[in-house]
Amino acid sequence: MAVVRKLDHSIFDAHIEGQAMNVEYLKRIFAWVAPHKAIASLSIGLVLVASTLAILLPVVITRVVIDGVILNQPDALLPDFGTNELTAWIAGVTGWSALVSACVIYAVFTLFCHIFYHAHRVTFARTVLCALRDMRHDLFAHMEHRPASFYDRVAVGRVMTRITNDVQAMFELLMGMGMLIGEFVPFFLGLAIMLAIDVELTLYLMIAIPVFGLITYFFRQATRRVYRLIRNTVSRLNQNLQENLAGMQVVQLSNREKRNLQTYREINSDNLKHEQQAIALESSYGAFMDNMVNVALAVIIWIGGGSALQAEISLGSVILFSQFVDMFIRPIRVLGQQYNILFRAMASAERIFQALDWHEQIKDPEHPIRLPARLKGAIEFRHLTFGYDPGEPVLHDVSFTINPGENLAVVGPTGSGKSTLIRLLGRFYNFDDGTIFLDGVDINQLTAADVRSRIGVVMQDFHIFSGTILDNISLGNPAISREQAIEAAKSVNADSFIEGLPQGYNTVLVERGQNLSQGQRQLLAFARVLAADPEILILDEATASIDTETEQVIQQALKTLLKDRTSILIAHRLQTIQEADRILVLKHGQVKELGSHDQLMALRGIYYTLNQLQFQEVSLKEDIT
Amino acid sequence: MGSLLRLSIYLKRYAWSFWLAVAGMLISRIFEGFIPLFVKNGIDNIAAGQTALTSGSIDYQSALNTLAAPAISIVICVLIQMGTTIAYRIAMRRIGVIASYDLRNRLYQHLQLQGPIFFSRHSIGDLMARAINDINLCREILAGAIRMTLILAMTALVGLTFMFTLSVNLTLAILLPMPLIGAVAWYFSKKIYAASYLVQEGFSTLSTFVQENLNGIRTVQSMAQEEREIERFDQVNQEFADRNLDLFNMTSFLSAIMPILAASGTLIIIGYGSVLLERGEITVGTFAAFFSYLALVLWPVREAGSLVTQWQRGASGTARLFEILDYEPEIQDQPSLDFPEPSGRIQVQNLTYRYEDKEKYALEDVSFEVSPGETIALLGRVGSGKSTLLRLFVRLLEPTSGQIYLDGHPINGFPLARLRERVCMVLQDPFLFADSLSDNIAYDDPNRDHQEILEIAHAAALEETIEGFPEGLNTVLGERGVTLSGGQKQRAALARGLIRRSPILILDDCFSAVDTETEEKILSGLKKVRSQATTLLVSHRVSTARHADRIIVLEEGRIIEMGSHTDLLAAGGFYANLEASQRNRLDLVSRLDEAAS
Ligand SMILES: Nc1ncnc2c1ncn2[C@@H]1O[C@H](COP(=O)(O)OP(=O)(O)O)[C@@H](O)[C@H]1O
Ligand SMILES: Nc1ncnc2c1ncn2[C@@H]1O[C@H](COP(=O)(O)OP(=O)(O)O)[C@@H](O)[C@H]1O
Ligand SMILES: [Mg+2]
Ligand SMILES: [Mg+2]
Repeated sequence: MAVVRKLDHSIFDAHIEGQAMNVEYLKRIFAWVAPHKAIASLSIGLVLVASTLAILLPVVITRVVIDGVILNQPDALLPDFGTNELTAWIAGVTGWSALVSACVIYAVFTLFCHIFYHAHRVTFARTVLCALRDMRHDLFAHMEHRPASFYDRVAVGRVMTRITNDVQAMFELLMGMGMLIGEFVPFFLGLAIMLAIDVELTLYLMIAIPVFGLITYFFRQATRRVYRLIRNTVSRLNQNLQENLAGMQVVQLSNREKRNLQTYREINSDNLKHEQQAIALESSYGAFMDNMVNVALAVIIWIGGGSALQAEISLGSVILFSQFVDMFIRPIRVLGQQYNILFRAMASAERIFQALDWHEQIKDPEHPIRLPARLKGAIEFRHLTFGYDPGEPVLHDVSFTINPGENLAVVGPTGSGKSTLIRLLGRFYNFDDGTIFLDGVDINQLTAADVRSRIGVVMQDFHIFSGTILDNISLGNPAISREQAIEAAKSVNADSFIEGLPQGYNTVLVERGQNLSQGQRQLLAFARVLAADPEILILDEATASIDTETEQVIQQALKTLLKDRTSILIAHRLQTIQEADRILVLKHGQVKELGSHDQLMALRGIYYTLNQLQFQEVSLKEDIT
Repeated sequence: MGSLLRLSIYLKRYAWSFWLAVAGMLISRIFEGFIPLFVKNGIDNIAAGQTALTSGSIDYQSALNTLAAPAISIVICVLIQMGTTIAYRIAMRRIGVIASYDLRNRLYQHLQLQGPIFFSRHSIGDLMARAINDINLCREILAGAIRMTLILAMTALVGLTFMFTLSVNLTLAILLPMPLIGAVAWYFSKKIYAASYLVQEGFSTLSTFVQENLNGIRTVQSMAQEEREIERFDQVNQEFADRNLDLFNMTSFLSAIMPILAASGTLIIIGYGSVLLERGEITVGTFAAFFSYLALVLWPVREAGSLVTQWQRGASGTARLFEILDYEPEIQDQPSLDFPEPSGRIQVQNLTYRYEDKEKYALEDVSFEVSPGETIALLGRVGSGKSTLLRLFVRLLEPTSGQIYLDGHPINGFPLARLRERVCMVLQDPFLFADSLSDNIAYDDPNRDHQEILEIAHAAALEETIEGFPEGLNTVLGERGVTLSGGQKQRAALARGLIRRSPILILDDCFSAVDTETEEKILSGLKKVRSQATTLLVSHRVSTARHADRIIVLEEGRIIEMGSHTDLLAAGGFYANLEASQRNRLDLVSRLDEAAS
């Protein structure tokens, strides 16, 4: 047997925590943004213009209104970015007073500033949303094509959160980046103005940057651990609840409520403890950042006031400084927030790429052979050996043929590998030890999709989707008309119970079809396959939960359906298989007996014993009589 | 909104913290209001100093000294404000997290009391959303919305007071555009609320879609429906992106329109303020201070709208949560009564059951008795009510009318836990947890010893399976047991029931995927181990039913036949027909046998 490299699926369960900046990831994320480059650049251009206007607004108030108009002491040496000239020009052209002109300038600047900001935000959001929509599409499509062997090992929830929440974290990351640009441009412009007015005062105020920066840094360090613990406990809480809900009936019937509640409470208390730690840290930090900014006002009055008294700067400049204070500190705060987001987003990115880079798949051939439009329906298994785990074979050297139009029954104890045979025929698992032929073509030379569209399997572990009964039969395939779906339901005798429901075929089923009985669910899964009208039909214990009477009705319908159609039938109830042409007995993954009923009975082997067992009592009675 | 009052218990429980926090808020707001005042003083002093210095009436140092008082006062205000802010934020948020802790525990405990009707009404996704989002909303109300409301009200009040003391005229002028600003904010907040609701809904649609799709991935793939599913996903995905964009356009527009409207206030200060300044009614300092006060007053006006929506969201979240918490469990536990010494006699009297979403009765007027140690087989067509009947025995369902008596007492008189110890049911759907095989078997009590688990596994004919596993009993199963074959799953679920060794055992079609030989082995093993025990089992196989002392045939929720194998054969009804369908087969078999010999 060829050595199969064992894949380590446990990475999907690993708890990926905060990741430092990873340029590689960023580059890959930007690959989705790239197609929208033009809009993105436009958006950045817009924010530059808007920020410039935003910074000019306080300048208009202080330089033009306070210094120029009110105090009437304009200082030509101080930078005003031409606002005074503009005021004078407008006043000259229109004949308005300087004050009115200043008001007009202020109003117009405000208007355009915010129009540009708005345009920036909208274009930026559009870019990000489109990029993430595409990312989500790619991720979903990728996961949709992972094989059964993947989903055997990886919980659905793990995959789901990657497609939903982790992509959402990318949204925060990218929007945050846009926000940073919006914050830093005014910061540097403001800084330039302040330096031009009063270098000394600006430098004093700039002390705040390292101080606040350091405090932010320490705060992030301190909360990092706590946040991790919080996220950890929250995800454990959710997982615990989810599992408990999924198996609630088992929980209740096993009297596990108290014990489970106890476990949940413990995690919850842990969570509470960490939350409280986080609150203390966050509240202190938040209050510090919100309020300490105002100390800068005292500094401005003391030092800036001193300069003003010495006539080094104007009173307007002092007021201008006080208006810039907020702008000065915001980038640090935003950076602090973004740091957190970045941290989380990198972890999300890792999870996303982990999934995208997981290439476990059903090996499709490079140059697939197309099956003919109509199959003859010959199937051959040749020396097939297979195990789910390398080195633990489930099937041993299985060889047999099914002729076109033949109906083959497979019997054997549970766990003998019957369903596995079917899964391999449907190309759900890769195998390389042995061959399966479909109409003489090695199925590994065909695409999985091609094979599956020809073979209809009523699976043992079927799934009922929430939605109407009709949708569950047609699976949303527009090629299947309502009439065809009803026809299929009729042939499995599901029609009578469906018609008995208040809304008939439009009755909405809940998650996993739990408002039906198990047998009714199985009938739906059966009807679903018949509706697709496959060329080869496979029934894997398709009538296990169905009573004999209904089964007989189905069998009657199957008689016409199976005529000249190749089919495989797996069942435990022997009367189910009485119509089969030949019977294959599988035990421990080996073909033990193969032949018609009569041949196998004559053989007096396993099949014979099974028959005896099943009709033991009746035979006993006959012995007596 | 009424549901919000339900949260007040947490305020009452932590009344001391709450009222101290309120006091802290007030103090912090007052000192915040003082800061622009001191800035104004400072600026006025600078202006005065400048004039005095030019006229030469004072020297630089003493002019500078006049700035010390305002500067120091500002620092003091800042410190007080910071201290109180820390205190009230911690106090309020603490109440919030403790409440969410408590609500989570309550919800968990409550969910464990619910029956199948409840769970067919609420999907797991729905309940998870309530446990996560709605509890968060409650917490945000307690930790955030209440605090914000008080803070905003106080800020506006304090701001206005200070403004009026400085200049009544200018204050009145500034207040003019406020109603308009408030109205616009209000209007958009409503729209944003609606839009963000759509976004949330879109996200949950997306999540549900992905979850269902992945749960059924094997079905999807086997029907070769992947591409169609991807197309369907694209629709949901696009819809979500569109809704996000709508929301974003709106919030962005609000962020743009607000400062533009607020600029009217600034313009009033510039225009009217300059006039007042010229008239000498206000100082330059007051002029500058008004910019700060404007910000102070604008803040509540701007936030009012989104605060209202936060309250609304909180209200609907609380309502959703309490809808669950108030849901009276279908099954009422009776912790008071205790089990009398059991004899094991069961009486079923006029039992009737109807699922509320169905018109037809699933079970109608069913009566029979079971004596201790008896084995009863239930037969009937798909949907005839077998599982429903059995679920009534363990009180997963509560009868619409009629009653089941155990040792002469109605079963709803017993504590649930005791009842389910005594009556053990193995469900038709063999649900397994993604744990090890031994954890699954010993699910009722993880402390059971290895030997016992092995013994039971043996009784359930699992030993061969266990030997085949690389890690034996400790092999971890896939989600819902996907790595087991159908029959192995059923036997594992059976073992989980058998290990409880309860006097009454209920098996709901537990052998459907088990081959006859193995079934035979298990049943005859059971007979030996449980010779004293009562067993009720559902099966479609006559070969199983014949083990039973009595057979009950259900049809559309009614008993149509009841009796021993021989009785029913003689009666020539449903059961006899069933048997006959095998008899055909048997005739064939015996004929062949004869031919062979
Ligand atoms: N997805 C899987 N991963 C690992 N082992 C599996 C998986 N599915 C089945 N097996 C094992 O393979 C063996 C054969 O299973 P299966 O083909 O389902 O048996 P059956 O004949 O009852 O249909 C069993 O021992 C089972 O435990
Ligand atoms: N949870 C449920 N909600 C609504 N209807 C149900 C539910 N479970 C079963 N039913 C309906 O009740 C009837 C009896 O079901 P059940 O007792 O499961 O039948 P069975 O005899 O196959 O075990 C069926 O028509 C089924 O559709
Ligand atoms: Mg199987
Ligand atoms: Mg049932």
